[in-house]
Amino acid sequence: MSLDLQQVLPQVEHLGQEAARRAAEASVRLPRLAQALLDAARLDRSELERRLAAAPSTAHPAGPTDESIDARFPLPPHPPRLRLLAADGSQVYPDRHAAAFFYMVNIGSIDLLQGSGRPPQIATRSNLHFHEDDLHDTRGLPVDTHLINARRDAAELAELARLVEAPILPERHRDGVSGGRSEAPAEVEGPTLALLDNGLLLWAASQEQKAARPDVQRVLDEYLAALDLLRDSGAALAGYISRPRGANVVDLVEAAAGEPGGPRPGLTDRLLFGRHLAAHARSARFRHPAKINDEFAARGHEIQFFYLHTGAQDGVARVEIPLWVADDAARMTMVHAGIVEQCRLTGVPYPLVRAHELALVGQDDRRALDRLVQAALIRHGISGLASQKAQTKRWTGRRRRHRL
Amino acid sequence: MTPSPAATEARLIGRVTRCSIQGFAGGIRMTEPDLPAFGGLCRAPAQGGRSQVIGLIYEISIEDDDLARQLAASDVPQEEVRLDQQFVRPIPIEILALSLGYHDGESYTYDLPPQPPNTLADIYSLPPSEVRQFTASLAFLPLVLAAPQLPTDSLLAATFRLAAQARPESERRAFLVSAGRECARLLSGDLGRVNNLVRSLQG
Repeated sequence: MSLDLQQVLPQVEHLGQEAARRAAEASVRLPRLAQALLDAARLDRSELERRLAAAPSTAHPAGPTDESIDARFPLPPHPPRLRLLAADGSQVYPDRHAAAFFYMVNIGSIDLLQGSGRPPQIATRSNLHFHEDDLHDTRGLPVDTHLINARRDAAELAELARLVEAPILPERHRDGVSGGRSEAPAEVEGPTLALLDNGLLLWAASQEQKAARPDVQRVLDEYLAALDLLRDSGAALAGYISRPRGANVVDLVEAAAGEPGGPRPGLTDRLLFGRHLAAHARSARFRHPAKINDEFAARGHEIQFFYLHTGAQDGVARVEIPLWVADDAARMTMVHAGIVEQCRLTGVPYPLVRAHELALVGQDDRRALDRLVQAALIRHGISGLASQKAQTKRWTGRRRRHRL
Repeated sequence: MTPSPAATEARLIGRVTRCSIQGFAGGIRMTEPDLPAFGGLCRAPAQGGRSQVIGLIYEISIEDDDLARQLAASDVPQEEVRLDQQFVRPIPIEILALSLGYHDGESYTYDLPPQPPNTLADIYSLPPSEVRQFTASLAFLPLVLAAPQLPTDSLLAATFRLAAQARPESERRAFLVSAGRECARLLSGDLGRVNNLVRSLQG
């Protein structure tokens, strides 16, 4: 066994002590912070803006919106019918030690019409990227994981846009249990809620120097175009973040209180709203403070977020929405009521659980893909061998077992 | 009863995960409507595809699935979620089959095969035409009766019923009578088991 547990044991013990210390410290500071949230809500808006402008550069305070920052919204009624779309993605990164240099993006999606009594429709889209312009960025450097992640995120959103464009068909047009789509006229269904298992900002484009790269800009354009389609379809869109670790609202509250900020281990928005929100209630909306949000806003897709007490084990989740959802009461109802309803069974929205399952590329899938690639290379007269280093890892990766 | 059109073709019901001369196990994820039946016949290639081992399915188990367990333990699931789990989401199943013989490209041999199927060999259910051909002889019965720790009587009853269904209506009774007689002959020292088997067939 290469992991010496005896050696790690004291470190694990220390980890536990440290976590307990941070939790205790946070629980002491939390009541004061919760009060500061209420105090900040009473500030005049211009005064609040002035204090936020004076916040230290290390802070990333959320921006206030038209809702009072201490507002709490109870669970609205769920529509009798709600079409739920969810997409998730996974990827196989390129490996220079593999037989061939490629990467793969795998997108899983589900289309579930709640209240219809029908089975949902599912899809998995696997795309192998092996062309020269896939594998190298515009500087000629090998594609990095950030760019692959960005392409995966854009593919997830494009899948949701594809689904909202392809309406569910009435029972008589369906060609089997797993469903099918045709040119037949669509049945008039209820409202649509599209869900992503992540925030809505494209993080690869969040750093200025990266956003300036043409390849990143191209992905960003595709992403924003998919947002346009989703907005125009009338659907609601939300990015669901389970166990969020952000502290943008904590930063906002501290800036409003005129506190200098600084280290506050363990004190997160999730902790703050776990105290502030009752089960199934949501917080006020806030503007996402990331710089890239300015570009999203310029294209009509400013990203806002709120915290939602799902009533499930993990408690408070962060939900990100575009401005066109935030400004539309009916779409906000869909997001709030739809997510709470879908969390009742599995703690996180059920369609996201299934989309993740459909997208996941496991170790067995990866090995099977490698075998297919090797066979294709050999068929075309190219050596299908992995590098010597990859082979040695395979030799030593499996434990030796002595049979009696 | 006429077999449904879907049942007239061989269906992939698993891939071999472990095997021996006496039988093989197969795993696959499939939706509930496609599940094979207890007592059904299947085949898997062996000897590099030169032969097909014929197996009798004596166990079907649904492997542990954390998501299904979570849903079962929660509130009453929404109808659409229940339908998703039952008809859309593949279930991880394992089937166990007893080797009853093999086909070498020309005819059936009712004995243990020279080699087992290989790992990941596709396991197909036998379509009705092949079920009729294989069960035209009941020479496979000794292998079933000799198999240890299997619910042999229930297994044979299920096999006979499925084999009868694969035949035209007019031939079914004659097949069941003939199968019952052959069992009575082989189990002549054990009248209790013969009675059990006949009762199962009548049920």
